[in-house]
Amino acid sequence: MNQSFNARRAGLLALNIVLGLVILAPFFWMVSVSLKPAAEPFAIPARLWPQDPTLDNYINAFRPEFRTYFVNSVIVSLLTVVITVSLALFAAYAFTRSQFRLLTVAMTLVIVAQMFPASAIIIPIYKLMRSADLLNTYTSLVLAYVTVTLPVAIWMLRGFMANLPLTLEEAAAIDGAGPLRTFIEIIVPLCRPGIVATSVFVLIVTWQEFLFALSFTSTKDMRTLPVGMNDFIGQYGIRYGELMASSVLISLPVIVIFFLLQRQFVAGLTAGAVKG
Amino acid sequence: MTQRETWLAWLFAAPALLLVAVFMYYPMVGTFIESLYSTSFISPVPKLEGLAAYRRILADPAFATIVWNSLVWTVGVVVLQNLAGFGAALLLNQKLPGQGIMRSLVLLPWVLPGVVAAILWRFMYDPQLGLINSVLISLGLSDHGVAWLAEPQTAMASAIVAAVWKGFPFSCIVYLAALQTVDQEQVEAATIDGAGPVRRLFDVVLPGMRDVIVINFILTTILTFNYFDMIWVLTRGGPQNATHIFPTRIYELGFGQFRFGEAAVYGVFSILVLALMITLYFIVQRRALRRKPA
Repeated sequence: MNQSFNARRAGLLALNIVLGLVILAPFFWMVSVSLKPAAEPFAIPARLWPQDPTLDNYINAFRPEFRTYFVNSVIVSLLTVVITVSLALFAAYAFTRSQFRLLTVAMTLVIVAQMFPASAIIIPIYKLMRSADLLNTYTSLVLAYVTVTLPVAIWMLRGFMANLPLTLEEAAAIDGAGPLRTFIEIIVPLCRPGIVATSVFVLIVTWQEFLFALSFTSTKDMRTLPVGMNDFIGQYGIRYGELMASSVLISLPVIVIFFLLQRQFVAGLTAGAVKG
Repeated sequence: MTQRETWLAWLFAAPALLLVAVFMYYPMVGTFIESLYSTSFISPVPKLEGLAAYRRILADPAFATIVWNSLVWTVGVVVLQNLAGFGAALLLNQKLPGQGIMRSLVLLPWVLPGVVAAILWRFMYDPQLGLINSVLISLGLSDHGVAWLAEPQTAMASAIVAAVWKGFPFSCIVYLAALQTVDQEQVEAATIDGAGPVRRLFDVVLPGMRDVIVINFILTTILTFNYFDMIWVLTRGGPQNATHIFPTRIYELGFGQFRFGEAAVYGVFSILVLALMITLYFIVQRRALRRKPA
């Protein structure tokens, strides 16, 4: 009995190691190639780890265009997170507290929009941005990103707000606080875990968004990191080390934020997903 | 609720409603309208031509290829991603040393930006320099390496593997959370009745998670059908259209060739597929709600 228990445990541990390897192998390869000196990626068969690791690729990758893309991505992502989460807080509050049927239907239509295929609606949005003269601006990207992240953000925050008891508002009303003050001073602070989870989600989605950025920006000074990376594939030719170093640099910010806040994030994400 | 509060509720919801109406619902209608007009690089002024673009596209053999590819791609990624995600969730739900670290690591591919994941896999598949071919060559399983993404026979399967790697963590985390809500008393009762782990999985755990599983399948189907980044960066739909799916075709027609009308026809078909999935989603959700009155 004990022996079979141990065998089962060993088997499970082995499976866990396999899972870990599957997840980490591509990351390992990314870091390994990014540390190889210029000629080494071409050794055949490829070496698993560089003989003389170097940071040269990182220094070369951090060139002026890359810095421009990085700044663009940071600006667009931060604006999107702040605007989306603020608007979503208001909307989620209206959605959870209103008994008004028409509003519930309208909000359901908003939440359904999270499933819309971006590629299917990209042409009319592109034309809309073009006629408003917004192509190659932060505004076009932020508008698009806020819109596509709002439905999920509202859905995630709604989960948190639905759990807050109505007595909170009743007590505040007795104290003479108006609805806006109640919302800002009582409801929003109580939603802090939800706000953290939603912000991380919006950040991860925005930081990697590709299709809108590819369509709305055509000048080098307005491109974001994912589009810039896509351009690099051609430009870098066979400078794989630099390509991988740039990949590491792009991934690092979201990975760090994710690890710092992952507990709240996973709780927020799965609360909605499991409840449906 | 007083009239003032109703008014306030609408005010709170207004920005979100307005943005989604202008940038999502209006463009959806816009895609239908766009599909009736014709533009091209040479004649950029839209010209009304009714259903001509539909007729042209339905007669084009590339259309059948893209429908087939989309089907293979979507079914392949969704099934494998959910199986892998569920398997990983079962594993991570066991009590084992190091499980906390594993639960953090598992979401890593999902956090990785899509374009980076695609570049990474492009590189993994590289005939000379990729990790996969390096391993195959050093094990003696291949003598020159396979051009995974350049061969029509292997390109789609390779893209599917890359997409599953990127997507399975999300399914895993959802299933892991659902596994923790499975009624432990029922599991114990089944154990006492002599049911082994496999029997318990099929008789107790899976039925308890049915709604989560179905909804997750529908959601991943929608996401996968619309997934642009991975294929665009890996292959741009090539070789010889072998990996072209709806989103990549729409982008290529619209922004590569400025044939907005034809791109919109593909857009309309995507919207119809989506409408079907959303309907399914609501039917399933309503049934789930009826089954367990909250």
